Amino acid sequence: MSIRKAKGYRYGIHIPDMKDLTKDKPIEQFPAPKKVYISLSQHIGAPANACVEVGEYVKKGQLIGKENGVVSANVYSSVCGTIVAIEDIVNDMGQKQKYVVIENDFSNEEILFDNIKDFEPSTLIARIREAGIVGLGGAGFPTAVKLTPKNQLEYLIINGAECEPYLNCDNRLMLERTDDIYKGICYVAKALNITKIIIGIEANKPEAIHAFKCFNDLDVAILKKQYPMGSEKHLIYCTTGRKVPVGKMPFDVGVCVQNIKTMIACYEAIDLNKPLTEGVLTVSGNGVNEPKNLKVPLGTSFNEIVEFCGGAKDNVVKVIAGGPMMGRALIGLNQFTRKTDSGILLLTNTEANTNEPTNCINCAKCANNCPMRLMPMFIEQFTLIGDYKSAEKYGAMNCIECGSCSFNCPARRTLVQSIQTAKAKIKEMKQNAK
Amino acid sequence: MLNNNLLKYSSSPHIKAPHGTKWIMLNVCIALLPACIMGVIYFGLYALLLLALSVLSAVLAEVIFLLCIGKKFNEIIKSFDFTSCVTGLLMGMTLGTNYPWYSPIFGSFFAIIVVKMLFGGTGKNLVNPAIAGRIFIFISFQSVVAEWVTPTLFTTGEITTGATALVNLLENGLLSISNFNLFFGIGVAGCIGETCKIALLVGAIYLAILKIIDIRYPLIYVAVTGLFTVCLNGFNFEYFLPSILSGGLIIGAFFMATDYVTTPNTKLGNYIYFILLGLITAGLRQATKMEVISFAIMLMNLVIPLLDKFIIPKPFGYKKQREVK
Repeated sequence: MSIRKAKGYRYGIHIPDMKDLTKDKPIEQFPAPKKVYISLSQHIGAPANACVEVGEYVKKGQLIGKENGVVSANVYSSVCGTIVAIEDIVNDMGQKQKYVVIENDFSNEEILFDNIKDFEPSTLIARIREAGIVGLGGAGFPTAVKLTPKNQLEYLIINGAECEPYLNCDNRLMLERTDDIYKGICYVAKALNITKIIIGIEANKPEAIHAFKCFNDLDVAILKKQYPMGSEKHLIYCTTGRKVPVGKMPFDVGVCVQNIKTMIACYEAIDLNKPLTEGVLTVSGNGVNEPKNLKVPLGTSFNEIVEFCGGAKDNVVKVIAGGPMMGRALIGLNQFTRKTDSGILLLTNTEANTNEPTNCINCAKCANNCPMRLMPMFIEQFTLIGDYKSAEKYGAMNCIECGSCSFNCPARRTLVQSIQTAKAKIKEMKQNAK
Repeated sequence: MLNNNLLKYSSSPHIKAPHGTKWIMLNVCIALLPACIMGVIYFGLYALLLLALSVLSAVLAEVIFLLCIGKKFNEIIKSFDFTSCVTGLLMGMTLGTNYPWYSPIFGSFFAIIVVKMLFGGTGKNLVNPAIAGRIFIFISFQSVVAEWVTPTLFTTGEITTGATALVNLLENGLLSISNFNLFFGIGVAGCIGETCKIALLVGAIYLAILKIIDIRYPLIYVAVTGLFTVCLNGFNFEYFLPSILSGGLIIGAFFMATDYVTTPNTKLGNYIYFILLGLITAGLRQATKMEVISFAIMLMNLVIPLLDKFIIPKPFGYKKQREVK
């Protein structure tokens, strides 16, 4: 057991963290809604196949979407009731996806898994796969795939940085469910056969750091308050000193990074035999009347969640799913919670960026703040004229889309958007070349 | 209630740092004010007239150009970002009070229209417009620029004209004026804005505190110029301070060379740029026996595209993985 201050990395930016809005608010249980819309594609990889039919009666925790291939995940019903439709709905990315619509009958009957037979790594991983657990930090990569690396890993790093402003769900979970997180970590460490476990927590969460002091086999690394500390590559560098080479994955340097919420999901799947049917999210921003931390059944409409939090104010100009730096703007509240959601933010005119871009003044603030040490201004310029080869030369593919460049840009250039375009185009070009 | 029609849809990030281009340029103007005020105190109201004409004509030139290319007047007002103010002010500060009153108008129009707007406006100019404007005036009014007015404040006697302290230093060796007087600009011949060094440094520190300029780079420039002058004069360290404090090195280093548009985009590029700038300034000064800051900066401005083309930083994790302990 040890507590140490982790080193920082060069560059990176400081953002007002705005966490006070919900910092001291315990996680509330959101009452089960009348209707849930459960997406069959809540993860990276192939969407799950619907294994129920319209009119069928399902219980809470019953399988409704079966995984489709290795990189895929099961989807379970979050309420008890009748399936009224399986339909295509446009999701927040603008893509049409299959959603299962279930009408709740409030009988609260629940199906659980059988008790786990033994605690062998293979059994644990099978249970995590069966429960449909994916990386809940936002990426949604199936956890079971991450737990079966080709090589023996050395470190398990738990990401408690939560460097996005406004969001507080990880912070609250670390305070309220410390023991559950610890148990989850132990199971995952066992599945990976790892003994070196580090939990990285940003210095602005002293209570969470204090909560994890008491565990003997857990190293607590106090991370500098620096954005983007929660980025996998930077977290690994700051806690272990290892650099993930360009184009490689964490397991190439013998590290596995897991999110706080994923650990709780693992604990619930293994100890409580529960599949993943609920998500914890922060509803915040100055545009919402009562900011809250909520535990919400998957598939709940954003509208109902915002109503539960006292409704929206009149001067909201932006609705965001996720954090303000990397989340997605929505065109309305007609979306439904998914496994990977970590927040709903309603920002007013004074907080949100609504400025029009002006000419680049070549100040180099984007390059000086880029945690990946790229040159966003050149990538943007090459993207605008359609020269994606040159954009790649300046490192477009290494961008982690953290938003540091756009955040600091005095000319309000939409740098991240250009880089995202460049990345998509470069990928397309490479596929065409094959 | 949430009004869906008011919602803005955009790519991440959804929050931004509070300060934009306008704020930066306004603060550069504010940082230049102490030196302007000291200039007016030293050289009288004619200095104020030159400065005002310079700023006004620069702004006017920009507005006229934008009107000519078909922009609407209220759009121009909305997108006005004070860069032309900075250009006009900087150029006005490099004039002397023996210049005709219409000289800054010529300079401003050349600087804004030819050097800045024809290349694409803010951020697209190849060389610093203020410096280009100054050089334009310097060449156009050659009969007057050889002589500089000596301020009368704190000294006895009439207004005189003569060579600047720097030219004296370069031609005749060490100066009779003390470093203290050079620092405060007492009895030193020169242009309106660059005489009082302390006022300029106050402005530079203001900009450094607001993190608008990185103070390291101009300091490198100043130090390299001083040291190289010392080297060229047979390692006589008595040349160090006078070479820095006489002439326009302070205003050139802290306000002109640090202009965002005309500095390289990488840290390494910046170090190379400012060191080369120092060497060129000291070398050219010694060779030509006159003040060459503006020429040196303009020359180096043209090298920046090369520095940006060949210096590309290595991305995070580019190096080979370190050995595991």
